[in-house]
Amino acid sequence: MNQGAEKLRCTKEPYIEVNGHQRIESIRFSVHSGDDIRKQAEVQVWKNVIYDVNIKPAPDGLLDLRMGPPNRNFTCATCHGNFTECPGHFGWLKLTLPVFNVGYFNSILNILKCICKACGRILLLESERRIFLKTMRKPRADPTQKDHLLKKIRQKCGSECLHCGYKNGVVKKLGSSLTIVEDFTRKIDGSMHEFRSALSHLKDGASFQLIHVLRPLKVLALFKRMLDQDCELLNLNDRPEKLIITDIAVPPSPIRPSVIMDAGMSMENDITIILKGIVNTNSILREDLEGAAPLFKCLECWDLLQVQVAEYINSEAPCVPDNKNRGLIQRLKGKQGRFRGNLSGKRVEFTGRTVISPDPNLKITEVAIPTVMAQILTYPERVYRHNIEKLRQCVRNGRFKYPGANFAVLSSGSTMDLKFEGRKNVANDLKYGDIVQRHLEDGDVVLFNRQPSLHRMSLMCHRARIMPWKTLRFNESVCNPYNADFDGDEMNLHVPQTEEARTEALTLMGVQNNLCTPKNGEILVASTQDFLTSSFLITRKDAFYDRASFALLCSYMGDGMESIDLPAPALIKPVELWTGKQLFNVLVRPNASTRVFLNLTVKEKCFSKPQNLSETMCPRDGFVYFRNSELICGQLGKATLGNGSKDGLFSVLLRDYNAYAAASCMGRLAKLSARWIGNHGFSIGIDDVQPGERLIQQNKRTIDDGNRECLDFIAKYNKGELTLETGCDAAQTLELKIHDVLNKIRSAAGNVCMNELHWRNSPLIMSQCGSKGSPINISQMIALVGQQSVGGRRAPNGFIDRALPHFPINSKTPSAKGFVANSFYTGLTATEFFFHTMAGREGLVDTAVKTAETGYMSRRLVKGMEDISLHYDLTVRDASGAIAQFLYGDDGLDPAKMEGKEGSPLNFDQLYMKVMATCPHRENDSLSPAEILQTLDKRFSRCDMAPEGGCSSEFKQKLSDFIQKRIVTLQQTRQALQLDENPAINKGCCKRETISTRISGISAKQLEVFLETCISRYYLKKLEAGAAIGVIGAQSIGEPGTQMTLKTFHFAGVASMNITLGVPRIKEIINAAKNISTPVIKTQLLSSSEALSARIVKGCLEKTTLGEVSKCIKIVLKPSQTYISVVLDMERIESLQMRISSESVRFAILNHPRIGLKPEHVITMSSHKLKISMPLVHKDQLFPLHSMNTLLPKVIVKGISTVKRAVIKKDKELYSLFVEGTNYLAVMGTPGVDASKTTTNHVIEVCQTLGIEAARQTIINEIKFTMDGHGMSIDIRHMKLLADLMTYKGEVLGMTRFGLTKMKNSVLMLASFEKTSEHLFNGAYSGRDDHIEGVSERIIMGIPMQLGTGILKVRQRVQDLTELKYGPDPIIS
Amino acid sequence: MADDDYNDMDMGYEDEPPEPEIEEGAEVEEENNDDVPDDIIGAENEEKEQEPVEHPRKTSKYMTKYERARILGTRALQISMNAPVMVELEGETDPLEIAMKELRERKIPFTIRRYLPDGSYEDWGVDELIVEDSWKRQVGGD
Repeated sequence: MNQGAEKLRCTKEPYIEVNGHQRIESIRFSVHSGDDIRKQAEVQVWKNVIYDVNIKPAPDGLLDLRMGPPNRNFTCATCHGNFTECPGHFGWLKLTLPVFNVGYFNSILNILKCICKACGRILLLESERRIFLKTMRKPRADPTQKDHLLKKIRQKCGSECLHCGYKNGVVKKLGSSLTIVEDFTRKIDGSMHEFRSALSHLKDGASFQLIHVLRPLKVLALFKRMLDQDCELLNLNDRPEKLIITDIAVPPSPIRPSVIMDAGMSMENDITIILKGIVNTNSILREDLEGAAPLFKCLECWDLLQVQVAEYINSEAPCVPDNKNRGLIQRLKGKQGRFRGNLSGKRVEFTGRTVISPDPNLKITEVAIPTVMAQILTYPERVYRHNIEKLRQCVRNGRFKYPGANFAVLSSGSTMDLKFEGRKNVANDLKYGDIVQRHLEDGDVVLFNRQPSLHRMSLMCHRARIMPWKTLRFNESVCNPYNADFDGDEMNLHVPQTEEARTEALTLMGVQNNLCTPKNGEILVASTQDFLTSSFLITRKDAFYDRASFALLCSYMGDGMESIDLPAPALIKPVELWTGKQLFNVLVRPNASTRVFLNLTVKEKCFSKPQNLSETMCPRDGFVYFRNSELICGQLGKATLGNGSKDGLFSVLLRDYNAYAAASCMGRLAKLSARWIGNHGFSIGIDDVQPGERLIQQNKRTIDDGNRECLDFIAKYNKGELTLETGCDAAQTLELKIHDVLNKIRSAAGNVCMNELHWRNSPLIMSQCGSKGSPINISQMIALVGQQSVGGRRAPNGFIDRALPHFPINSKTPSAKGFVANSFYTGLTATEFFFHTMAGREGLVDTAVKTAETGYMSRRLVKGMEDISLHYDLTVRDASGAIAQFLYGDDGLDPAKMEGKEGSPLNFDQLYMKVMATCPHRENDSLSPAEILQTLDKRFSRCDMAPEGGCSSEFKQKLSDFIQKRIVTLQQTRQALQLDENPAINKGCCKRETISTRISGISAKQLEVFLETCISRYYLKKLEAGAAIGVIGAQSIGEPGTQMTLKTFHFAGVASMNITLGVPRIKEIINAAKNISTPVIKTQLLSSSEALSARIVKGCLEKTTLGEVSKCIKIVLKPSQTYISVVLDMERIESLQMRISSESVRFAILNHPRIGLKPEHVITMSSHKLKISMPLVHKDQLFPLHSMNTLLPKVIVKGISTVKRAVIKKDKELYSLFVEGTNYLAVMGTPGVDASKTTTNHVIEVCQTLGIEAARQTIINEIKFTMDGHGMSIDIRHMKLLADLMTYKGEVLGMTRFGLTKMKNSVLMLASFEKTSEHLFNGAYSGRDDHIEGVSERIIMGIPMQLGTGILKVRQRVQDLTELKYGPDPIIS
Repeated sequence: MADDDYNDMDMGYEDEPPEPEIEEGAEVEEENNDDVPDDIIGAENEEKEQEPVEHPRKTSKYMTKYERARILGTRALQISMNAPVMVELEGETDPLEIAMKELRERKIPFTIRRYLPDGSYEDWGVDELIVEDSWKRQVGGD
């Protein structure tokens, strides 16, 4: 590796951009030759003693001080630096005989395969050589293509040399040792016989060896003789002799420090130990060679040297007998290795970690930092006019008094420790430009993080609040993005150290700017748990407060600093009373000067539409309606206030107003709820889960009914009367039915609980408002625990034909298979408890397994997508400029800002409502439908609505659809009011006219405001150039993976047809697996309404063997002839509409690959009879006949061999087919199948059959389907990007180490991913040039990457420079 | 740019909530946007008139959040190193806050060099770019 910059300085100082020319632009990997090593070295190492008698490093030994100090006790003899200063210097060690480099061993082997072992020329015809050389020299060929070509060259290489005529043997590796041999044994050539016979007269002809060992010395000589052109042909960047080690670079001592133990002992580093062995063996070998030791002894010594050198490079190589020492590769490799542990991620200063706890009195953007922590974490503040007094005081306070400082760096360059006395003088001498490392203070910018950091909201920027005690505290509303709770979790804190870092942290990572998740645009920072409960209770219909208590509650909301306008009381007589709903009016808009006009409607969980009434009259008050910041109706719950919704209160505030509005509202709610619920009280006791008399009875009835039903099914099953479900056998059908019934029992019990419980019951309240617990949890506590399932089924049989020995054999009753009829309150019986633990254990195992799996999946995704970003021309590209998408997600919109369902940019209904409410009709006329359309067309004709103006046609269509819908309602209203199409010209005359206007009219102004708001807001939702959209996409797909529960299987519309879901399925898609566990092809039929045609097609698809359709297959032995007769079961064939005749069977037999009969041997006797005779080559006819007899029943006569089965699905009189199995092409080609509507879930097969675009669409569809199956919504744009990335090279590449090698070109990036050493050695072999442009490479090199804020350059305005009268030069050029 | 009709519209409903704002701030940009044809890419006809550049600039005229962060950061660093402030201060001392004020008043003396993937670049003055109003109040406690 030679670096572009002269010398790399390793510092902990923050990055400051230097003037362009010193930046590392690219790295070229090459092979380190002996000459290079000698040139770099300070000292030749040859002594095998490390220390001399005085326990000082011996000169010319392995710890020679000229190579740098081995520990703190010495100084360098070359640069005279101490252990911390001296970077170390290389030494070199001359090997007596050359040895192979383990890293290049395979490369050496491959080269030897291609060259003549006598003259060193390549074993190719001249013409071929020219052609290959030309292709190899193509400047634009990428490494993968070259590798491919190299493989082809290797195959083409012959054995006879065209230049010297030498006949080459086969070159191969000998076992696991590092020996290459040339093997002549396989030569089918006359020459060997000739040779043998020529030698036969000698007595010891046995000494003639067929296997020649190619020792490093010989290989070196061969390589030296190779032509440069041949090297180029073999993709060698350098001379091949460099691949063989002649000299070893002895690494500097500081990187292999030796630890001095007491009593004159020292602990040497592994590298030193290995090298010592090498030095030893080397000198012995030299002595042996010089002293004429027997040959075998020398060879033995040489082999030992080879193994030791191999151990030095890779101690885990198979040839190394014991790998207790760590070699060089082991230092680089793995999670703790240099690449992942020290280069891609580093240890940092100015961090803290402690337990977290909640504090609702903090703002959501704040984090409370304990004083002790604030005294250690500092920020280097530069002294200038406005802060000099503050900093003087800090300096005076020193290290141990809180608002103090730890160090002062004076402009003279000296650093003062403020631990000691004399601080006062320092404080008084403080000048502008000095830097004071002051303690953290209120308002400082800090980064807050909780592991696992699965998405970008796991690391957000908060404002510091210095508080007493010892925990980090934050508002509970921010628990969600961190996925934190307070059961002992710890979190990390980082303090950015420069003004730039703080600004970027605050503006890009601030909590306020990350309220929404880019996964799907839902709000993530929102009220949780108790806040929801208290909001729910406050907004009860019967909650009234008198003036004193209402004013008190209002004052709870703020810090006592805000002014609050008390609304008019809802009741005036007999006493003034305010409702709890009015409290929320105050909460949203505390005073008249806050101009927030919130308009929204939300259907809460308990919403049920009342009959013949408006939605607002919901009997359970489940319809939340805010109009102009007034809560008209509805009890607030999770749907309105909680996370994971797009049209809740905070989302609307955020979209219609800004982040600050939403954040401050959240803060007010947190304060109000925490204080209110503290007074009100809310707890849970045993009486909350005691079922009442009625509940017990109802419960018993449901359980008994269910039990009876199940027993009925079992009885039917035993008699064999059970009507089968499609595609199931009797046992499966029974399981299905019982499962259904038992699940129904639990939900029924849940419903009973929800209806019967007292309205004040705490668990009920919590489940209603969505703060914690579900109806199932309640019914498990009160009514019954329900069916326990293991692996999606009822409890499996752990004993012979039964689940537990407490039950009779083959018992299928609910209780024998894990149905728990007791509740947690009544207590579980022994068997029930055991079943419950089985299910519980499965959950535990599953989570444990899944965390590891999804973590690795996320890592791969991120590594594959890390450098994808949006550029200024709105294309999505990777770091090298390769285009992944021309327009992100086909519309260039930011997924985090999507308001509507399914990733649509706007929620028109809500916006329309807002416009209607905020600028009302007044006396303006409402427009007629024609006028509305006219305005719309006029607006649409403006250039910002054109596709070239940046507006997607989809958005335009949706907007016009919405307006059309409005027009239709308007027309309907007018019809209902018996008015004509268009409004009367003499307005105001008709009452009904006004009514219609009020109901659904829209005035010109309103329409204009609506359209303008929609369009301008659409443009604000565009994704901004520089966005690291690749990582966001990777995180958005990786993060939900961790939340996927153990639901692995799922019915695909048809019972019994299972398809893999969950993490395993996502993994399959992302890996682009060749074999997937459940391939399913969905087909539509050409005549989809006929059951008969469906059955015929099914017959054509399903694999039918001859054995299944024949009455008999028997051997007939007659004196005249012997044959096998096959009689087809025509009745059966007819009944199944299979259309098999003896002719088609004959055809099938003849085409069978393993039978190999000729047409004359298979004779059709009639339409259902065949005669198969054997060819008369064998004397014995009987054995072939018998083997044929066993083979024949397996001949597939109809259907596709890879199809396991096909199931007919009937959906509203329309039939379709589900085909389990592969071979998409054959299914599409089956007559009766509508090929254009046939889909499969097998991505690779789609790619092979339909092409890469279809594969891309399949990837998108499959990820979406899997995610939807788990109720997770992910913006389609992320999946599109992933699919594009997997397919943009023209083949489907998985996000695995194999796929990534083909996707990325950078050696450093690949080395930091997996297979570190392989990538490095290959890079050096072919002399790869690495442009430092990707994210990984830039992190490794310590350069800012070209994403986000790094995509642009800031330049100081030149003309403005004249305005500067004083001050330092601008930092940024 | 004419933003008359939008203002008119607000004036029509004096006593009703106008197009609401959360806090009073000098926010004119938002209104400006609506009448300007919001071209993200290629609006040659408009742009040519405004800036006499040889090549019509193609990139968005909105300042991205990354540009904003970078500019504020760089400017805050300059201010913290005693660079002359380009605006009247009203008691602000935090360099970042001063930088934000400067940006609001479009007084930051920077040019942004936007690199296109082909290696060419476009220079945009900070004062030429439209800054989103929703980002204005970000100093945290307000």
